[in-house]
Amino acid sequence: MSDPVSTQRMPRAVARFADGLLAADLPRLPEDRRRDAVDFIGRRLGVLPSITRFGVLVIAAVVHAVGALVGHARVRRLVLRLPLPLLAEYPRLIRSLGYAYIWETWPDTDVDGGANRSQAA
Amino acid sequence: MSVHHDCDVLIVGSGAGGATTAAVLAEAGHDVLIVEEGPWVEQGSVVPFSLEQMDQQYRSGGVTVALGLPSIAYTEGRCAGGGTEVNSGLYWRPPEATLDSWRTKYRIKDFATDDVLSICEEVESSLSVQKVPGQHTPASDILRRGADRLGWKNDEIPRWMKYPHGAGATEGQRQSMTRTYLPRAFAAGARILCEHRLDKIVRSGRRATSAELTDLAGSAAGHDAVTISFRDVIVCGGAIQTPAILQRTGLRHRIGRTLAVHPTVKLAARFDDAVNTPEDVSVYQVKQFAPNISFGGSASHPGLVALALTDNWRDFGSAVTSWPELAIYYAAITSEGRGLVQAIPGVRDPLVTYRLTKRDRDLLGQGLGRLAMVMLEAGAEEVYPSFKGAPIVRNRADLATMTTMFAATKASVMTVHLCSTAPMGDDEKRCATDSHGLVRGTDNVFVNDAALLPEAPGVNPQASVMAVAIRNARRYCADRAG
Repeated sequence: MSDPVSTQRMPRAVARFADGLLAADLPRLPEDRRRDAVDFIGRRLGVLPSITRFGVLVIAAVVHAVGALVGHARVRRLVLRLPLPLLAEYPRLIRSLGYAYIWETWPDTDVDGGANRSQAA
Repeated sequence: MSVHHDCDVLIVGSGAGGATTAAVLAEAGHDVLIVEEGPWVEQGSVVPFSLEQMDQQYRSGGVTVALGLPSIAYTEGRCAGGGTEVNSGLYWRPPEATLDSWRTKYRIKDFATDDVLSICEEVESSLSVQKVPGQHTPASDILRRGADRLGWKNDEIPRWMKYPHGAGATEGQRQSMTRTYLPRAFAAGARILCEHRLDKIVRSGRRATSAELTDLAGSAAGHDAVTISFRDVIVCGGAIQTPAILQRTGLRHRIGRTLAVHPTVKLAARFDDAVNTPEDVSVYQVKQFAPNISFGGSASHPGLVALALTDNWRDFGSAVTSWPELAIYYAAITSEGRGLVQAIPGVRDPLVTYRLTKRDRDLLGQGLGRLAMVMLEAGAEEVYPSFKGAPIVRNRADLATMTTMFAATKASVMTVHLCSTAPMGDDEKRCATDSHGLVRGTDNVFVNDAALLPEAPGVNPQASVMAVAIRNARRYCADRAG
């Protein structure tokens, strides 16, 4: 059976944004887990319906280009705050995919990304 | 290398519409070939409602969206059996008033309510539709308890499940299409090609003559091109793919212009005991405000709980560590809005849009507020509504605050019930097909799935889809026999 979720390579702009977002949101999430989550986000974006994927990649490219000029962390914070309809969907999508993957894969994860001691015990 | 097949009837899609159509036609002696874009996944080989299931059995891994303000996330099954393999399994007959209204408004011929309900009876027998004989999940009891305390109408919804004697809610065996109608179709000689994507239906004037497909599994081996010649083709790809296929075939009259859905908003609620049963959903629904607003339970895997908290992670996030004590619920509304499904030349997936009306947006807010009330009455410690910047609701005062803060444009709106993109009926101005699914402007292209329902029925639509599909398939057999 073929894997319906493609493993095509994720654009660098999306990978960088997703990695930065998860690192800021979940500072104690181990790096290998964050990398897995970013890979998962990439796989899901790779199978988005064509038009949605195109829209996401355009927004990602613009955010990345602006980030290269003024700093990626700064742009990321700005994107999270701006209430613009389509732009706001970008971090929302990345965050949704990342969180769903992290807590489905490691349900004992704490709110800051570390291991939850009460559940781990 | 290309592969060629011949058949009497090509059925595109194997879900609630396609599987029932295949069974009826094959049992009547037609040479039936089903093509299904997704894989055949044995029940039990993936965990229900998990990300792995979404990877294997949903289109685009479950990440599909109708654009709008707000955009509406939706899901489509993409596997043998279609949505019946992945949905909640809850069964609702179409309401009699809805059938009466459709018959009159869309001028649907030979659509007596009693006849449709009689087919529903057959479906109920074939799918072993029944209530849970044993214990319900805690998440189910919460809805019942909260509604009872408010004096609101609620009931257990039967499911298409087989249970061992006296078994509890999580021990049922789903009677989806791969367990029921598809085996019946195969026993009568029908064939299926899974992981075959329909690229194009070739037409000559009013007649479709053949189909061009891609063998998704065979592409690595270099034999991916497939052609199929047929006498008739019946498109059962669901309310999004069916209109896209028809539009790519050059058929456009009233196709893809009237997408209807039941929009839903969600919340997560935390209780002081473990209530989360990740592999199951609540079988209780609250119908006090039906058909306009209904409440039910959603899948609550830890990943989905985290997802439900992302709208205000700063305030809600700490609850994620208590996910065993959280469950997710929804408020679904009937919508007066409509959407579009539009195939774009050169692009594989259609553009899907949906516009909620002001009444819809108001109803979503009312629904979320009342659902939160049910949760508080049921004993929730905290309620986390799914809209951006939402407050934590711990009491009636918080509820009032939440209601004033709600705006549908900030909400995570989703739906799993998609209908009406090729409505049936003899009213040419409203309908894409005749009263039995024959697409206008053609002699042998039929639709037989959720796209035919003229409107979203206000309840889970699978029973309606199956009843209509069986009705139309029988009519097809009678016509071809004559």
